[in-house]
Amino acid sequence: MGFEAILQILIQGLNMGLIYALAALGISLIWNATGLFNFAQGDLLTVGGYVMLSMFSHWALPYPFAFLLTCAVMGLAGYMLSQGYFFPMFSQGLHPDIIVIGTIALTVLVQNGILLLWGPQAQRFSPPLGDSPVHVGQVIIMPYYLWNIAVVVVLVALLQVFFKKSILGIAMRAVAQRPVTASLMGVRTNHLVALTFLLATGLAAVGGILIAPVIPLIPEMGGLVALKAFAAVLIGGLGSFAGALIGGAIVGIAEVVFATLVVSTYKDVFIFAILIAFLLVRPRGIFSAEISEKV
Amino acid sequence: MSRLAYLKRIGLAQGILLVLALIPLIGVPAYQFYVLERGLQNVLVVLSLVILLGYTGQLSLGQAGLVAVGAYTYGILCVNYGLSPWLGLVAAPLAAGLVGVVVGFPSFKLKGPFLVVNTLAFSEIVRILILNNEKVTGGPFGLNRIPAIATGLPLYYFMLVVAFLAAVATLRLSRSHIGLALKAIREDEVAAEAMGVHVRNYKLLAFVISAVLAGVSGVFFANLAGYLNPDSFTINESSTYLLMVVLGGMDNVAGGILSSLTVTSLPEALRFMARSRMVVYSLILLLVLRYSNVLNLANLKRMMRRRQPTPDASTVAQNKVNR
Repeated sequence: MGFEAILQILIQGLNMGLIYALAALGISLIWNATGLFNFAQGDLLTVGGYVMLSMFSHWALPYPFAFLLTCAVMGLAGYMLSQGYFFPMFSQGLHPDIIVIGTIALTVLVQNGILLLWGPQAQRFSPPLGDSPVHVGQVIIMPYYLWNIAVVVVLVALLQVFFKKSILGIAMRAVAQRPVTASLMGVRTNHLVALTFLLATGLAAVGGILIAPVIPLIPEMGGLVALKAFAAVLIGGLGSFAGALIGGAIVGIAEVVFATLVVSTYKDVFIFAILIAFLLVRPRGIFSAEISEKV
Repeated sequence: MSRLAYLKRIGLAQGILLVLALIPLIGVPAYQFYVLERGLQNVLVVLSLVILLGYTGQLSLGQAGLVAVGAYTYGILCVNYGLSPWLGLVAAPLAAGLVGVVVGFPSFKLKGPFLVVNTLAFSEIVRILILNNEKVTGGPFGLNRIPAIATGLPLYYFMLVVAFLAAVATLRLSRSHIGLALKAIREDEVAAEAMGVHVRNYKLLAFVISAVLAGVSGVFFANLAGYLNPDSFTINESSTYLLMVVLGGMDNVAGGILSSLTVTSLPEALRFMARSRMVVYSLILLLVLRYSNVLNLANLKRMMRRRQPTPDASTVAQNKVNR
């Protein structure tokens, strides 16, 4: 296998992997703030894609404007979801398993909602840099590969600044580490949990916007994406920022490598097998964050 | 559970199933009858989850995968190898039970949501394998012309008898030493181990029993539909099964039977809403979960044990520690 083939695999894998990483980051953030696995993260990503489809293709808003508006709408939805649904369930002291089942019920609602609003057919919108592939030597690069990777890199840099420098980001990390102490220091936990949901849903929305040109949107795609995101987050390390990114990249690249070298129909089986192996052998993942209790 | 409470529960379960036995006598239109049969088939899956989640506290989102294993084993043996349906009825739950062993092993190390991800991944692997082995399973085109054990009323009464036996067995299990060991594992694994419960063996047993029940349900599915397609065994089915058992009250057999019949027929009852019925259906499920403590549907005492006087940070913290 030549250098060019490796480059091809790498760029294709990174493209998908970083999208999984966005969903994985959301899962990781919510886990840090609440100790909850949000199984609906993949479906929130799909909704993001569909909202973008409506704004960009149907209402013909300019791409950057539609992009930001989609993130805002989805972020608000996430905020309300937390305030109206998940936080009340926490504060009633419901069994954590019931709340997890609540997120699973949410996936059913979201998928049926999409089916009702946008229909069952696969839909796609054209990416900002066009659909014609660019040939660099033997490597075929779709312009949206580069666009997707660039967007995620910028987003991650912004998030790092947010968590390290801004008072809100510091408060979020405080809630993740010591919720009780944080509340004694004047951090409003319910507000912060809702903001975490806002951030996670916003990230998922970006993932949905970026995934639509690569894989056409279908209502039930969220389940598979969520499982890949869980693979990313558990391989990388639950609760860790870098872990979600690296895990996403590993899942994306492993998928393309397996599809190219072995057989493409079983690439998902391969990823899930890695996931199960990691759960059994190293449930803390590669980067295990010390802040939260695990397993 | 006291003797009286136990007898009440047995009586309740028997009562519901007696009503089900009488329903065909009043004459039900064919389609409604089919929905009723599907509900009865789901009762077995719910009972399997009552044992796994209700008694043992193991959260699984892979039940649809096990139902698929049962259904496809039956279908493949009967269609491709011409086996008699009755032998298929024996072989399919055995195959599902074997797969249950494989699914059960990770539970030694994994808990709560980690176990959910694991079982979910397993069930997706099963679905993808079925989808891609076209020569054996028919792949996306499905498996056609599956012979049935019986049809119409005889099948209905056969399913009813099996569901009745399974319900009584599940209830009796809860009072047996096995059931007590399973509940001890649910409450506190370390304490159970210290009291001499072999946690691994009992967990594995719970997974196998539940897989066998799911396998039987799969056979009935194949009998009812006569046609199998991987789309019938998705994450959605697994989550619906989980919702049914939660709405029924986790370890409540009679409640589980009622909720599986109700949840199965809910989309049909909402048919007048046409396209939006599935949204309304899932919204109802979501709201019932949200207010499960108010509605007293889930087992109140156990769910509310960690109730806090005011919503504050410590509830979130506790939620995390409880993982």
